[in-house]
Amino acid sequence: MTDATTGPDIDRPAHDVRLRAEHVRLAYDDRIVVDDLSIDIPTGALTVIIGPNACGKSTLLRSLARLLTPKAGTVLLDGEQIRKLPTRVVAQRLGILPQQPIAPDGITVADLVGRGRHPHQRFFRQWSTDDERIVTDAMEATRTLELAERSVDELSGGQRQRAWIAMALAQGTEILLLDEPTTFLDLTHQVEVLDLLTELNAESGRTIVCVLHDLNLACRYAHHLVTMKGGRIVAEGPPGEVITETSVLEVFGLDARVIDDPVSGTPMIVPIGRHRVPATDPHGNRVAAASSNGNGFGEPTASL
Amino acid sequence: MTTLVSPPATDGTTAPRRRWRDGGFRHLHAGPVSLRVDSRAVVVSAVLLAVVVVGGCWSISVGEFHIPFGDVVREVTGIGGTTDSEFIVQVLRLPRVLTGVLVGAAFGISGQVFQRLSRNPLASPDIIGVTSGAAFGAVLCIVAISTVTTSVTTGALAGSILTVGLLYVLAVRNGFSSYRMVLVGIGLTTMLNAGTAYLLTRSELNDAQRAYTWLAGSLNGRSWDYVRPLTIALILLVPPTLMISRQLRVMEMGDDCAAGLGVSLTRSRALLALLAAGLAAVATAAAGPVAFVALAAPQIARRLVGERSAGIVPAALVGSAMVVIGDLVARTAFGDTELPVGIVTALVGAPYLLWLLTRANRIGRGG
Repeated sequence: MTDATTGPDIDRPAHDVRLRAEHVRLAYDDRIVVDDLSIDIPTGALTVIIGPNACGKSTLLRSLARLLTPKAGTVLLDGEQIRKLPTRVVAQRLGILPQQPIAPDGITVADLVGRGRHPHQRFFRQWSTDDERIVTDAMEATRTLELAERSVDELSGGQRQRAWIAMALAQGTEILLLDEPTTFLDLTHQVEVLDLLTELNAESGRTIVCVLHDLNLACRYAHHLVTMKGGRIVAEGPPGEVITETSVLEVFGLDARVIDDPVSGTPMIVPIGRHRVPATDPHGNRVAAASSNGNGFGEPTASL
Repeated sequence: MTTLVSPPATDGTTAPRRRWRDGGFRHLHAGPVSLRVDSRAVVVSAVLLAVVVVGGCWSISVGEFHIPFGDVVREVTGIGGTTDSEFIVQVLRLPRVLTGVLVGAAFGISGQVFQRLSRNPLASPDIIGVTSGAAFGAVLCIVAISTVTTSVTTGALAGSILTVGLLYVLAVRNGFSSYRMVLVGIGLTTMLNAGTAYLLTRSELNDAQRAYTWLAGSLNGRSWDYVRPLTIALILLVPPTLMISRQLRVMEMGDDCAAGLGVSLTRSRALLALLAAGLAAVATAAAGPVAFVALAAPQIARRLVGERSAGIVPAALVGSAMVVIGDLVARTAFGDTELPVGIVTALVGAPYLLWLLTRANRIGRGG
């Protein structure tokens, strides 16, 4: 935890932190995945958590959403211990889209999105005019309105993911957590989903936290980037400060060059690997990996 | 608390947005009350209700003493005064049919709740030991105490709820898995059936014979003494089941999704399992473990209505229709021998189970 840096405030008015974890220990049965981790989720920002497989990022997200109770420490939502809040109250403030939700057979997009209204409904208030309006809004924002009557089974991967995001939106929460929302999507649809999340954040100031695998997209879209390794946070802050060749090597054990993304100016990671890389690049700079096994902490490679 | 996704529309000035249809659901509003009704489920339920009523009246009309259909309707509805067949209808055949209707409904609902809860068609009360638990409890009471209805009911209730408790401890407590629940349930079923068989060997011949007929699942001789407690039990158990079953439609999207949408998984699961076990128990107490109704009725209902709603009412009506028509067949189709209804439902249900199993393997579901 010693090397965790707290990033400066993002370029929007800083509110009180609404979601925070304090010294949490997270475990499945007796296997501890995360220990003594603290994090403040910046309100109104798009936060992205990255890290190698099994680093505990999804586990952290689940605990922030109250799906997993910490063995020690607490998660606070609006200053209250989240596990002491009624499930329904949490569901009205914080929405989560898990990694692999199950779409019931033959369900239509509108029906799926409508189920996002569940925490606001009762037996005698099954479909209010609010529900109608918010579900329409959610489908409009995700451009799934024209798919409303289609069956979820027959959608493309990207459309299906948009429908699920619409379901999470229909929940009407100001905090939205998404666990790997772009996994299994092709690049076009990954960009589409992240553009959508950016719009949702920009238009209504939603606090969005998502776990991503693609480092370059994470750098481009995150206001606040959190890198995790072995159940702890290595660094957090704006992508430009968090992502360096040293940090990529430390977190992912990957020798890489970090250059400026020619499109957005955010950091762009170019992996080096062991093969098909000449000793020098066309400009005469040394390229080859400092450590060839990818595990050691060799000298950082020269940057451009 | 709710946030608009798009900028708020200034009232009346914006162009009307594209309307969407909620695929066969009707939205009914009356003041603060609003309902979202699956219109297909309503139509299917109406047809099924007609099937149950016609089947029931037909069942009253046929038998050793034939009663014209018109007389049956007059007797049942009470319109047009009494007829010569008052005794046969009111004392012998009507309560029998009503018991069948209620028992079928209870098994249908119980099966639907268990299957939806576990997302597994095999997780029916008759497979996972709930019905066997009720039967064991009931036989224990028949053999050890008396054949009075109340004690049989108490025994069945205790047996099924203990079985659900065991299921919970053995299969659910350390993370819910429907696959493990079915396997553990099959184990429990085997143990309980062995226990029941043991009780029968130890009992007086008279008790054993009585228990044996009851175990096959029979509506024979069911009087108003069965209808009344069954009605009360259903009035107590069905409304809360309907209320809580609303959670099922988000529970079937996965545990994390459901919890994120405000469902208290442990509590909802426990309540639904107890209510469903209670329904299976009162039905078993009244008519014995009528085979396969709880397994097949929800599946038939889902093929008729689809997966869109919890489908409690259609499953109940399919269950009623199965038991009422099954009893009609059992009484009339085999000449002079009256078979227990459970044999007929088993004859139809077992091949259905086999078909379900082969199909479940093929599409990789059911586990």
